[in-house]
Amino acid sequence: MKDFITLSEGSGGKEMKELIKSFKFSFRGDWNNFDNDSATVDIGNNQLLVFTTDSFIVDPVFFPGGDIGHLAFCGTVNDLAVMGAIPLGLSLGLVIEEGFSKSELRKILDSINRISTKTQIPIVTGDTKVMEKGKLDKIAINTSGVGIINKNELLDKEINIGDKIIISGGLGEHAVALLSKRFDYETSIITDSKPLVEEIQAIKNQIKIAKDITRGGLASNLNEICEKNKIGMLLNEEKIPAKNEVRKVVEMLGINLYELACEGRFVCVVSVENAPRVEGKLKEFNNYASTIGEIIKDDKVIIQTILGKRILPDPTGRIVPRIC
Amino acid sequence: MSEQQLIKRYTESIDKIAKEIERDITIMEVCGGHTNVIMRYGIREILPKNVSLISGPGCPVCVSSQHDVDSMIELAMKGVPIATYGDMLKVPGSRYSLDDARAKGGKVFEIYSTTEVIELKKRYGNIIFFGVGFETTAPMTTFLLKNNVCVYSVHKLIPPALQVLVNGDIKIDGFLDPGHVSAIIGVKAYRNIKVPQVVSGFSAERILRAIMILLEQIKKGKDIVVNGYPEVVTEDGNLKAQRELREYFYIGDSEWRGLGILARSGLEVKDDKLNAKIKYRDIIDKVPLPKKSACRCGEILRGLIEPLECPLYRKVCTPENPQGACMVSAEGSCAIYYRYGR
Repeated sequence: MKDFITLSEGSGGKEMKELIKSFKFSFRGDWNNFDNDSATVDIGNNQLLVFTTDSFIVDPVFFPGGDIGHLAFCGTVNDLAVMGAIPLGLSLGLVIEEGFSKSELRKILDSINRISTKTQIPIVTGDTKVMEKGKLDKIAINTSGVGIINKNELLDKEINIGDKIIISGGLGEHAVALLSKRFDYETSIITDSKPLVEEIQAIKNQIKIAKDITRGGLASNLNEICEKNKIGMLLNEEKIPAKNEVRKVVEMLGINLYELACEGRFVCVVSVENAPRVEGKLKEFNNYASTIGEIIKDDKVIIQTILGKRILPDPTGRIVPRIC
Repeated sequence: MSEQQLIKRYTESIDKIAKEIERDITIMEVCGGHTNVIMRYGIREILPKNVSLISGPGCPVCVSSQHDVDSMIELAMKGVPIATYGDMLKVPGSRYSLDDARAKGGKVFEIYSTTEVIELKKRYGNIIFFGVGFETTAPMTTFLLKNNVCVYSVHKLIPPALQVLVNGDIKIDGFLDPGHVSAIIGVKAYRNIKVPQVVSGFSAERILRAIMILLEQIKKGKDIVVNGYPEVVTEDGNLKAQRELREYFYIGDSEWRGLGILARSGLEVKDDKLNAKIKYRDIIDKVPLPKKSACRCGEILRGLIEPLECPLYRKVCTPENPQGACMVSAEGSCAIYYRYGR
């Protein structure tokens, strides 16, 4: 490992996982689930308190269909939601660059306020710091959140060979919306950023685990599930959903759809019996929801394409367009 | 006929011809774009056992020499701003990549279009464009030279590299020639290379068709060039782009990672004032030459050995710490072997 931090170590792929593995905290108290989206602690009454945190930096701060505030709210809510938990409240930490426009700050806070009211998940505490001009790019936001769940409903159940893999909607919409500013193209695609609580609550008793698809994309999620559960996956490429416009942009830029971030999509593992019901339910929320494959005895994520098979590796490096 | 039906027809023909040829056949796809499609559809896996595809030197960032990357890093660390394409940033020099140089405070800018360099020049008058790519991206660099941007050119030419691969020991029975490069240089550029060749497009169907035509040629013992991408590629290529290249560049020797210095295989900036290699000669001349490596990329690229036979493979050379071009590219032979756990 290099003796300095690189952007790859923040990209959600292999390097980031290795960096995090190198963090050692010896005192754990009564907490569990350290390698999950949220940690849990037993609070009696057969209930668990669920706790998570997430920091957000995004360029541009405003993009088609959303903004950094919306992302910061949904990101933490979704880390609680994929555990099966009901979010109770969030903290909001703002670090703002000197000179940042107050009207833009207001727009960000309004956006958080709207989604908080809509989901009935309150912002209950916060902190604000201002950094000297040039020491930070516009604004960084941290949100932490707590949720609650009945012990037996925690989405950390055992996965078996033959179980189905379902994703809740089309891939790549957030990334394609965000990149439109960077690469200067017009698109009707808007971010998929949204809270996942309702969707997951609707199916939580029928699924085994869920992961929200964020940095590193589907490729990162699936490899993580395989590594943790010592299993493999066989996906049917034709079943992996994405809007046509997303596919075209991805093709044009020469980037990998399966490595792109979403902010309102998740992947879940379901028993064979429950799969049709779960897929049906998820389709009520998003018509692109699809059963994309199954768990196999292996240690890799394998994609069956229209011709042969190939491996979907854990992403490494940053996402950059190819020139060749 | 639908694409699916065509694919079925071509795969069946490939199976049939391969059976008739009987011996082992090695086909090299020269272009990184082709490798990408071949990987994406698992085409290697569906080919008959006696037909293997190997990846050639067609990923331009991967064949950039360590010394060129080291020189760029040295300039960036000395405060000279460097702009280049994103996938060049992760290619390692002898110790670091340009991405690492940026993390350590070097002025490095990732660009997507050369027009962004013009914008950057307004802020950083002394910006250098690290010009990488084959005949396809080189015409974009001429646009910068026209606008007085200083360029460090590692632009490379495909036909001389193919000629080198064909001369000497070789176990390659045919080439899938690149699509986009050929759009610029035309089919005529390959006519002197005496190996069966097909210029191919980029869909799975086009690539399978090209492989089928190659096998037919191999079977009949012909070594001609077939244009399998006529909707984009012509016999003469893009004459305007060729004229521009001649106007702003001259052809010089160029160092290819894994292949060494190949005669008359690179494009050098004609105008000394805009040639970063001359303008910053004092700094670049002091950049030490990388230690001679035991990397056997050259032989792997020629199809002479398999990655496992290289002493560095998996021991020193990994996708996170790649030494040669075949590991630098995610689609290089060594990186593929590594990913499949061999």
